[in-house]
Amino acid sequence: MLRYGRPPQFDDEEEELEVKPSFFIRLFGAVILIAFVALAYNLYQIQVVQGTELKRAADENRIRLVRTDAARGVIYDANGNVIVRNEPQFNVSIVPADLPTDKQDEILKTLSVLIDAPLDTSIEAETTDPIGSIPSDASRTFISPTRRPGLRELVNEGRRTDPLNPVLVKTNIPRVIAFQLQERTIDFPGVRVEIAPVRTYPEKDLASHILGYLGAISPEAFSDYEKRGYDQNDLVGVIGLEAAYEDQLRGRAGTDLAIVDASGNIIRSTQQDAPIPGNNLILSLDMDLQQKVEEALKKGLEKKKLKQGVAIVMNPNNGEILSMVSLPTYDNNLFARGIKPTDFSALNQDKDRPLVNHAISGLYPPGSVYKLTSAAGALQEGVIDSRNTIFCSGIMYLPNRFFPDDPKLAQPFYCWYRQGHGPLNIVDGIAQSSDIFFYKLDGGFTDFTTPLGQALSAEYMRLFGYGTASGIDLPGEADGLVPDPKWKQRNLNEQWTTGDTYNMAIGQGFVLATPLQVLNTTATIANGGTLYRPHFARAIVNASGTVTNTIEPQIVRKVPIDSQNLELVREGMRAAVSRGTAWKANLQDVEVAGKTGTAEFFGPKKGGRLPTHAWFTAYAPYDKPEVAVVVFVYDGGEGSEVAAPIATDILRAYFHLPADAPLIDRTNPPPPETGTTAPNAGAGAAPPQLQTQANYTGSVAEVTDNSANENPSIVGSVTNSAGQGVGGITVVLDTGDGKVVASAVTAGDGSFRFENVNYKASPRWFLRLSGGASSTAVAVDVSAFKQYRIQFSAAP
Amino acid sequence: MVLKERRLFQNFDWLLILAVGVLVVVGIVLINNTTAAVEGLFDTSNLLQDFTFRQILYAGLGFLALFVLSQFDYRVFAGLQWAFYLTLLGLLATVFVLGRFFLGAQRWIPIGPFQLQPSEVGKLLLVLVLAKFLADNSKQMEKWRTLLISFAIVAIPTVMTYAQPDLGTSLIFLFIWGVMVLAAGLSWKQLLVLGVILAILLPATYLTLQPYQRDRLVLFLNPTADPLGAGYNVNQARIAIGSGQVLGRGIGSGTQSQLQFLRIRHTDFIFSVLGEELGFFGGIFFFALYAFVLIRMLRAAQISRSTFGRLTAVGFAAALFFQAFVNLGMNVGIMPVTGIPLPFVSSGGSSLVTYLMMIGIIQSILAHERMLGLRTKPQQV
Repeated sequence: MLRYGRPPQFDDEEEELEVKPSFFIRLFGAVILIAFVALAYNLYQIQVVQGTELKRAADENRIRLVRTDAARGVIYDANGNVIVRNEPQFNVSIVPADLPTDKQDEILKTLSVLIDAPLDTSIEAETTDPIGSIPSDASRTFISPTRRPGLRELVNEGRRTDPLNPVLVKTNIPRVIAFQLQERTIDFPGVRVEIAPVRTYPEKDLASHILGYLGAISPEAFSDYEKRGYDQNDLVGVIGLEAAYEDQLRGRAGTDLAIVDASGNIIRSTQQDAPIPGNNLILSLDMDLQQKVEEALKKGLEKKKLKQGVAIVMNPNNGEILSMVSLPTYDNNLFARGIKPTDFSALNQDKDRPLVNHAISGLYPPGSVYKLTSAAGALQEGVIDSRNTIFCSGIMYLPNRFFPDDPKLAQPFYCWYRQGHGPLNIVDGIAQSSDIFFYKLDGGFTDFTTPLGQALSAEYMRLFGYGTASGIDLPGEADGLVPDPKWKQRNLNEQWTTGDTYNMAIGQGFVLATPLQVLNTTATIANGGTLYRPHFARAIVNASGTVTNTIEPQIVRKVPIDSQNLELVREGMRAAVSRGTAWKANLQDVEVAGKTGTAEFFGPKKGGRLPTHAWFTAYAPYDKPEVAVVVFVYDGGEGSEVAAPIATDILRAYFHLPADAPLIDRTNPPPPETGTTAPNAGAGAAPPQLQTQANYTGSVAEVTDNSANENPSIVGSVTNSAGQGVGGITVVLDTGDGKVVASAVTAGDGSFRFENVNYKASPRWFLRLSGGASSTAVAVDVSAFKQYRIQFSAAP
Repeated sequence: MVLKERRLFQNFDWLLILAVGVLVVVGIVLINNTTAAVEGLFDTSNLLQDFTFRQILYAGLGFLALFVLSQFDYRVFAGLQWAFYLTLLGLLATVFVLGRFFLGAQRWIPIGPFQLQPSEVGKLLLVLVLAKFLADNSKQMEKWRTLLISFAIVAIPTVMTYAQPDLGTSLIFLFIWGVMVLAAGLSWKQLLVLGVILAILLPATYLTLQPYQRDRLVLFLNPTADPLGAGYNVNQARIAIGSGQVLGRGIGSGTQSQLQFLRIRHTDFIFSVLGEELGFFGGIFFFALYAFVLIRMLRAAQISRSTFGRLTAVGFAAALFFQAFVNLGMNVGIMPVTGIPLPFVSSGGSSLVTYLMMIGIIQSILAHERMLGLRTKPQQV
C-alpha cells in the first residue's frame, strides 16, 4: 500500500490515496481572490478616486494657523514711570492623553504638593478659580463660589471629553516651581508649564479707578468683540483706561503657520504675519501728586471717621487730569490674577462702593458750588451787575401761589445764615454764599422782580457742562441732572414751582452732578470761559517709541459769557477765600480762589437735620490759574470745615509747599456755612450766636406818607448806647402770634428795611430784635401809603 | 522517522517563505518608522522595550520555529490532539482568571518582559484538534452527532475568548470551524440547517455585544458621526490611506502616522501607514502578497493526500484569511473595527510566531506529501 514503510506510531487508518482535489478548496480559493479584489477596489476608491480630497484633509489636520498674541501696551504716568506693565505668569496645564493612566495617580499626587493644587475636589467657603476666570461683571463671579475642582477631577473630565486638549489646572505658580517642572518633564509626562503675560499694576490701589483692569469677555458681548478680531479666551479692558484705550493698547495679533501633531504640539512653525505690539500710553496723571492727594483726602476723611470721598486735580488750561482719587479704593491686581469670589463680593457689597469711581460716576447735589454758574449767567443776562445789591434777610416767605395774601400759608426759605447777610453785591453774594441772594437772583422775589429764571438758569448750567457726561477718557461716566419743568412733569407729574427754582439756585432739590462736572465748571471760570473735555491721555506712543498721537486739548465749547462777568465770578471766589466762607483755604503763599458747598441729601437725619455732603472747589493762583481742584466728602458735613482743608493740603502738595504752609490768619472767622436750605429742613434750629446778648428798646419814631406805594413799608435803625449804628442784628416781623413772617439784618450803619408790608392781612405788626440781640416788641399799626420809621436803641 | 534534510528542503515551498518573509520585513519597517519617530514616548534605554527590536526578535524566533516544524512529521500532532485541547483550554482559563481577578481586563499572560496571548496560539491548536477530529470522522460527516461534537470542540474556547472579552478571536474560531466542516464535507441538508441557524443567531449575537462593541458596529455604518470620539481612528485611517494617493508619500514621510493623528498605527492600523507611505501601488502589491500566501496554503491542502493534513492547511488558511480580510477591510472601511491585528505585519510576538509556526506545519505537510512518493504534478487551485 505504501512505498515507504510507515513508522508504527502512525497506526491510524489513513486514506491518503482516496483524497481527490477538493471542490470546496477551489471555491475557498475563489472567495479569497474575490475578497482581495474587493479590498483592492476599495483601496482604489480611497487612494485614486478620493485621494486628492483626503490629501487635503490630511493637510488640514496638521497645518494650523496659530495666533501669536501681541504684547499689550504699557502705561506711563506724567513723570515717565511705568504704572501698568506685563509680567510673565506661569500656568500649569495637563494633556490627559499624554498622562499615562497607570501612573496618573502617582504623578498627580506629586504635582499637587508641588504646585499647591488640591488633588480632590472640595467644597470650600473661599476659593480661587483655578481656571483664572476673571469676572468682568458680577453675574460671572457667582457661578460657583464654593466648588474647587481637584486635579483628579480636572484630568478625568478632560480625558473623558477631549483627551488631547490641555486642561488648565493652576495659574500663577512661583517661578522656582515652574523651572523645576520644566527640568523634570520626564517625571511629569503630559504636564506642561505655559508662560502667559499677566497685567500688573505696581501702584496697587493708588490709581485703580483710573487704570481699571482686564477681564474675560462676557458671552453677551462676545459677538461684538469677535467682529473686532478677538478670541473667546482673550482678556479685554473692562473698566478704566484699560477699557477706554483698549484699541490702542491691544495691538494686533499675528499668525504663524504651524505644523502640529495630533496632540496639537507645534512641530515647527513659520511666521506668516508678525504681531504688532500695542501702543503705550502716556498720561497726564502724576503719581507723586496722586499719592499726596490720596493722603490728604484720607487724612480729611479719617478726622470725621468717614470712608467716601473724591478729590480731582486738573489743569484748567487744557483739561488734563493730574490726579483723581476716589475713596474707598481697591487693588486692581486682585482682578488681574483672578479675584477670589469672596474678595469680589466683599468689594461689591461694601456700602461705600469701592469699585465705583465716584469722581465720574457718583451723582450728588452740588449745593452751593453750583451758585457759580447762576452768578455767571445772571451777570451775562444783565439780571445783576457789579453795582446792584440783593438783600439777604436770613429768611424769606414765598407767598402761597393760590393765597398770596395769606402769610400763614407762605413758605419760608432760609439762608444758611439765619441772621441774614443784608444787602449783598454779586462778589459778596458768592463770598458769603448767601442762599437768599441766589434764591432771589434765580427765582425772584417781591424786592427782586427780574430774576434769571428757571429756564436760563438751567441753560447756563448746561453750558458749563452740567447734565451731560464730560467726555473724559474713562468709561462709566454719569450724566447728572439739570431739572426743568418738563422733567418734573414727566417724572413726578407735578408742576414746577418757584420753590423748585429756589432750590435749584443753590444746587439742591433735583440737581445732581458728578464731582468732575463741578471741577469742570471751576476750570471753565478760571480759564476765562473754555470748557475742555477732561482727559488723562497725553500721548500715544508705539512700541518703537515713536509718538503716533499727541492728544491735543479738546474744547467742548467756549461758554458765551463776557470776560468781565467771569472776572466778577472769579473775584467772588477769591473773596470767598479771603474774607468769606472758604477762609480755611486762604494760603499765604498762593492766592487761592474757591467756593464751598454744603449739600443736603436725603439720608438719616442728624440732630433733626438732613445730613450734608461737603464740597469745595478752587483754583490757584487767582491771577494766573494753573491748577483747579475739587474735593467732595460724602456725608462730610460743612464744606468749609471738611472739604476746604483737604483742598488746601492738595494745593500745598501741588505748589510744593511744606505741609504746614500757613493760612492768612483770620481773627474773626465767620460762622461755618450750614446746609439748612432745603424747604423746612432747618426749621426750628437755633441760629448760631454771633454777638453778645444786648437789650434794646424800640419805638415808632416817625410816620411819613408814601404816595408811591400803596403797601406800607417799615424802615428803621439799631443804634448802640453811643448812638452808632449796629450791623448784623436780625429784626423780625410778626403779627403778634410769635410766627416770624419776615426778617431783616441790619446793614453796617444799623439800618433795616421791610418793604410791602401786607396791611390787609394784619393791621397791626410787631417788630423785635432777635438772634444776636433782644428787645421788647414794638407794635406798629400800618395803613396804606405810609412809611414807618422804628428806632431801636441799646438800653443804657 | 529520520529523514535526510537535503531531501526535505527539496520539497520546500520557497516562494511561500519568500512571500511571508517580505510581509514580515514590511511589518518591521513600518513598526520602526511609526514608533521610533516618537521621541520620549518609549524608554530607549531598554532595548527590550523597543517595538522594532522586539518584532525582529519575534520574527527570528518565529522563523526558527518554522524551520524546526517543517522538519517534523506533522502527523505527530494528530496523536497529541487531546493534550493540545487541554492546553488550549488551560491557557484560556488562565488568562480569564488573571484578567478577572488580578490584572484587569486583558488578553495576555505575562512571562517576564513578554506577554503570551493564548488566543493567538489557540488558533493553531484549535485547527490541529479539529482537523484530527474531522479526519477521524470523515466517513461519518453526514451524521449530526459528528457535526455537533465538532461544534462543541470549538464552542468551549469560543465562549471563553468571548468572555475575555475578545470578540475578534471568538469570531475567528467560529470561522475556522465553519470552513473546516465545509472542507470535511457536509451534506446539503446539513448545509441548509446551518444556514438557517446562522440567520437566527446573527441578530441574537448583536444583542449580547458589549456597548463598545456595538458602538464599533454603529460606527462602521456611519464613521463620520463622531469624528473626535469613536469614529476618530476610522476617519484618520481613511485620511491616511487616501492621502497616500497613487504613489504614496514615501517611507517615514506620512504626516498622518508620523504626527500621530493615526492611533494604534503599529498594530491594528498598520496597513493605513503602508497605504499612506507606499500608495496604491504599494497597497496592491501588499494585497497580492497576501493572496499569494493564502493560495499557496490552499495549494498545500490540495496536494495533501492526508485528510488531517488537508484540513489542517485549510484551517490555517481560514484563520489567516479571516484575520487579514477583517483587518484590511477595517483599514479601507468595509469592515467594522474589531481589534484584530494583521498577521505577519502588526507588532506583537504571539501572533507573528503562531503564524510562522503555521507556515512551518504547512511546509511539513508539503514535505511529507512529496516524500510519500506520489509524483503527480500538484494541482493548482
